[in-house]
Amino acid sequence: MSANNKNDILAVLQILKKYNLKDTESLLKQEANLTDIPENFTHDASDSVLQAYQSEGDPDSYDSCYTELRKFVDSALDIYKYELSMILYPVFVHMYIELVYNGHEEQAKELMEKFGPEQEYYYQEDIKRLSMITKRDQMSGNDLTDTFKSNEFIIRISRDTLSLLKRHLQEKKASVVMNIINEHLYFDLYEGMARNKKQCDATAGALLGEARRQDNKVKVYYGLLKEPDYQQMTTQAPPPEEEDENDVDADKPKKKKQKKDPLFGKKTKSDPNAPPSDRVFLPQLRDNDKNEKIKALREAQKRVNLGPDSLPSVCYYTLLNSLYTVTCAEIAEDSSLIAIGFSDATIKVWAMTPAKLRELKSAEHLKDIDRDVDDVLVRMMDDRKADTSKLFTGHTGPVYSCSFTFDRSLLLSCSEDCTIRLWSLQTWTCLVVYKGHLNPVWDVKFSPHGYYFVSSSHDKTARVWATDNPQPLRIFAGHLSDIDVCMFHPNSNYVATGSSDRTVRLWDVLSGNHVRLMTGHKAPIYSLVFSNCGRYLASGSSDKVVNVWDLAHGHLVASLEGHTSTIHSLCFSRDGTVLASGALDCNLKLWDFSKLCEDLSGENVNVSHNPNVRSGDNYLLRTFPTKQSPFITLHFTRRNLLYGVGMFESS
Amino acid sequence: MEDKIKNPEIQNSQHFGTNLSLESIKIIAESIGIGNLSDAAAKELSDDISFKLKQIIQDGQKFMHHAKRSRLSASDVDSSLKIRNLEPQYGFISKEFIPFRFASGGGRELYFTEEKEIDLNDLMTTTAPKAPLEVTLRSHWLCVDGIQPTIPENPPPLAKDAQIQDSVNPVKKLEKTDLKDTSGKPAIKAHKLKTFETVHIKQLAQHELSVEQQYYYKEITEACVGADEGRRAEALQSLSCDPGIHEMLPRMCTFIAEGVKVNVVQNNLAILIYLMRMVRALLDNPALYLEKYLHELIPSVSTCIVSKQLCQRPEVDNHWALRDFAAKLMAQICKNFNTSTNNLQTRVTRLFSTALQNDKVPLSSLYGAIEGLSELGHEVIKVFIIPRLKFISERVCNMQAADISNTERNAAGHIRALLAKVCAPVLKTMRPAPDVLEDYKRDFGFLGPALHQSVMKARQTPNTAQPTSSASISVPSVTPRITTTPIQRQISQTQQGQQKFYVTKASSPSTTPANIVKIQQNPKIFIQSTPKAVSFVNASNQSLQEHELDDLSHLA
Repeated sequence: MSANNKNDILAVLQILKKYNLKDTESLLKQEANLTDIPENFTHDASDSVLQAYQSEGDPDSYDSCYTELRKFVDSALDIYKYELSMILYPVFVHMYIELVYNGHEEQAKELMEKFGPEQEYYYQEDIKRLSMITKRDQMSGNDLTDTFKSNEFIIRISRDTLSLLKRHLQEKKASVVMNIINEHLYFDLYEGMARNKKQCDATAGALLGEARRQDNKVKVYYGLLKEPDYQQMTTQAPPPEEEDENDVDADKPKKKKQKKDPLFGKKTKSDPNAPPSDRVFLPQLRDNDKNEKIKALREAQKRVNLGPDSLPSVCYYTLLNSLYTVTCAEIAEDSSLIAIGFSDATIKVWAMTPAKLRELKSAEHLKDIDRDVDDVLVRMMDDRKADTSKLFTGHTGPVYSCSFTFDRSLLLSCSEDCTIRLWSLQTWTCLVVYKGHLNPVWDVKFSPHGYYFVSSSHDKTARVWATDNPQPLRIFAGHLSDIDVCMFHPNSNYVATGSSDRTVRLWDVLSGNHVRLMTGHKAPIYSLVFSNCGRYLASGSSDKVVNVWDLAHGHLVASLEGHTSTIHSLCFSRDGTVLASGALDCNLKLWDFSKLCEDLSGENVNVSHNPNVRSGDNYLLRTFPTKQSPFITLHFTRRNLLYGVGMFESS
Repeated sequence: MEDKIKNPEIQNSQHFGTNLSLESIKIIAESIGIGNLSDAAAKELSDDISFKLKQIIQDGQKFMHHAKRSRLSASDVDSSLKIRNLEPQYGFISKEFIPFRFASGGGRELYFTEEKEIDLNDLMTTTAPKAPLEVTLRSHWLCVDGIQPTIPENPPPLAKDAQIQDSVNPVKKLEKTDLKDTSGKPAIKAHKLKTFETVHIKQLAQHELSVEQQYYYKEITEACVGADEGRRAEALQSLSCDPGIHEMLPRMCTFIAEGVKVNVVQNNLAILIYLMRMVRALLDNPALYLEKYLHELIPSVSTCIVSKQLCQRPEVDNHWALRDFAAKLMAQICKNFNTSTNNLQTRVTRLFSTALQNDKVPLSSLYGAIEGLSELGHEVIKVFIIPRLKFISERVCNMQAADISNTERNAAGHIRALLAKVCAPVLKTMRPAPDVLEDYKRDFGFLGPALHQSVMKARQTPNTAQPTSSASISVPSVTPRITTTPIQRQISQTQQGQQKFYVTKASSPSTTPANIVKIQQNPKIFIQSTPKAVSFVNASNQSLQEHELDDLSHLA
């Protein structure tokens, strides 16, 4: 047994002891042959994590060190200035932690009061959390300090800027700053011109700085899967539609959402960026699914094509008598059902069409039905129990998210009670309770192909599950704070997650690795949506901005500003031309996504070259305010009618 | 470095390291029976508790965000305690308010939770509280093909704030280059010029009404002055709560102004009442800001207050109710729109008070002026009516002679009753307690006994007299004199008893250009350019008038 291993086991034993788990402790001792534990062993796990902060530096010198560094940054040439200024915040944070760790409470407070307010606005939230910690013992088990300690703060910096910095540090012999920079900062070097303020700001803001270049080097198969040939299943093939639209830019993956797009004529051409169809196992389509797909295709033919000159109609569903009790809303793909989650742990499903919600007959009655008749599916349903809405009870905490399957037979929900539940929309009962998350589950989403689903939680993990397995298939760990939102890629090979650490990550379902790390948001991310072509990802955040990312290289390509509150809902139109965003400021904004795609197609991008971040002014089509009803959910129907859902907040 | 601080909020919230005060800790310690907590211990506790509380509240924020709220509730704190494996605080279910009460005394201030003892018997006997309503879904069109319909479910196309800005701040209009989001209409595409010249072309204001709006205007105006009482109620209801009529407002106001002009000449009481009810409905509409249209509304309303004759048969018809109603409207207008720049109330007060100075004013106009002033509040009564009481008294006294017509005598009676009503509460406060009839007779002449009686009565009843109008009272400091504002001119014309019309120049850009009413010697002949106004002149009959008056008394 290596010494390292032994230390680990000792740490585990320590924890077992702490929680008074005596049996497990003695078992582990036996198995590890550790009978001779020194009684005075007081190795605190968190202590070891923070040990690097042990410093003999003069606590009063920190102030002057920081002032000097800031003066150096200020007096630097403009081309280096902004890149250099990026090091101020991490140095400040680590100085503070070092002071607190070494028990210099007064000096720490002074440093915080003097220099805390002048840090960038998007760090203020973290600074406030940090300023709460004024004593060494408060640091143990604290998320924020642990995060700062165990991870390096990443700064992208040009070679010239870095050499300038190094020269300065050597000249000044500022050991305090030098130590911090060596220990806790990671410089991601690149050749070429130093970035200007705008470029620096665009990707700054995450909890631990920017993404390394190698974080985004892996190839991502963002293309769409080849659609199975529905033509064989249909008796009457609908004619190919909207040729002109595909002709506009054939090289761009601007096809419509694969599920609905009947590329009957030319469907043999496969997307060069698409993953192999057997990369991730996908369930076989059942007859029911096929019928549903065909129905969707037919419906899609009647779709209105949107653009700046033909804006969609919006139907707004207001939830009345529900002040502050509704926590989430979800509309089924075919827009026939709506599920509302409440803070009192119930879920209510409404039929949005005149057809009522019917229930399967009981087993005795089902026995009597002749299975060979044509309308056996209809006969299985009990019309007497049909209703316009149904209630699900089972959770014990507020329901934070719901998700329908494509065929509307199942509904997933996640809750504050740390569980995910699968409900049947035929028997209207709970089928499975998935337990695994350790903390409240914030979001759950079905894969577009069904069977798989992804959930994200306060425990900083996202997990991929299959409906038939009570254990998660993948656990995505890497985010540094809550994962607030998750989303399956249209090809089901990837999962995107947005977190309170202000980063968006893309995970490979096959390997479980994170393949993209995207920074630039300045506040927690609450909504994500993939473009219909699969290449772009839009994310909405409480920094009031919708960011659009190019998954090919993980670049931020557009930052759509305009909202004045948290953006909780995003949705692409079915033809992929319009992006709708709804926020708590009671505004719905429509963005011209086809124009953005067009502008982007001209740009030559690669992994090291960051494209210019486009602002939203050119792309905003319209804003529609509601009357004191913030948007909870947005949904485009198959015919491109936009549904919005919200509750009325009377003042 | 200053540019680093982008967000102005941050600058105001530099509260790092705020902790619970030591005193709070000591009070809390006392409440659980620890009397002598040392400062050091309190400090230690305060640090620890503050740290933990902040952590809990910060976690609670996450639950708030995921419930898509922007307000932290007690349940969020519970949830945040739960994820720390702490027992939640049971019993704090209030969503709407923080259940703490403040108390101070003996130099100490503290907040406490109020715990009432509940008598179970009472709880048993009282009826069960109403069950909360079930959540329901309701749908409406937020937008149709990119155009937001103006229905009550949608916010008004131009918010009231914007309307206020529009009428108060003239620069606003020049700044507004982005027409995109202002109304439900699609954006107007700016023409791209090939060459740039430094010529400023003033954008033509768009005031065409859509077909639907034209239809709406027609329906509403017809219903408002038509014979069908049910339809009128609906139309007024629509005027008073529809958020989308902002664009039609200029036309509505012109309709009212023209209607009043025509029907005052015709002495058509019913129509005047209907028009005043329209004014009332527009005033009531929370989505409208009428400031820009006061130049049309105020003359109309004041005409209905002080006009010499408002009905065919002054001796029987109750035109007094119309005057009362219009006076209330005027007070409301003053209250809503008086600013230091338009001096609205001052001008209105001046207008009415000139009528009190003049002894040629017909009695009906005098009544209107008194009513108009009295609606503006106690202070106005005190300054403008009370000093003129003797003068009015003489005029009323003269009307008691035998050769005076019934109409005049009737009017005198109304004035007397009105003065007794409005002056009593003011006189009560102005004059010391022993009310001597002789003093009243000496001070107020003929009206003395009536006033004396009502003041006596007022003294007996408990002091409930509050100012009738809470509008800020602006009293012109100099003695009122006649100025030649259009409003005044009109009134002085009516005061002279000649039914004349004056030429109005429509300053609203939307009105049709020809709006000139010709001045004619014969009051019965007039030429009116808007055919609409003429068409409803004969739409009323006597029975309707009676009905209307009942309505008015309800409204008033």
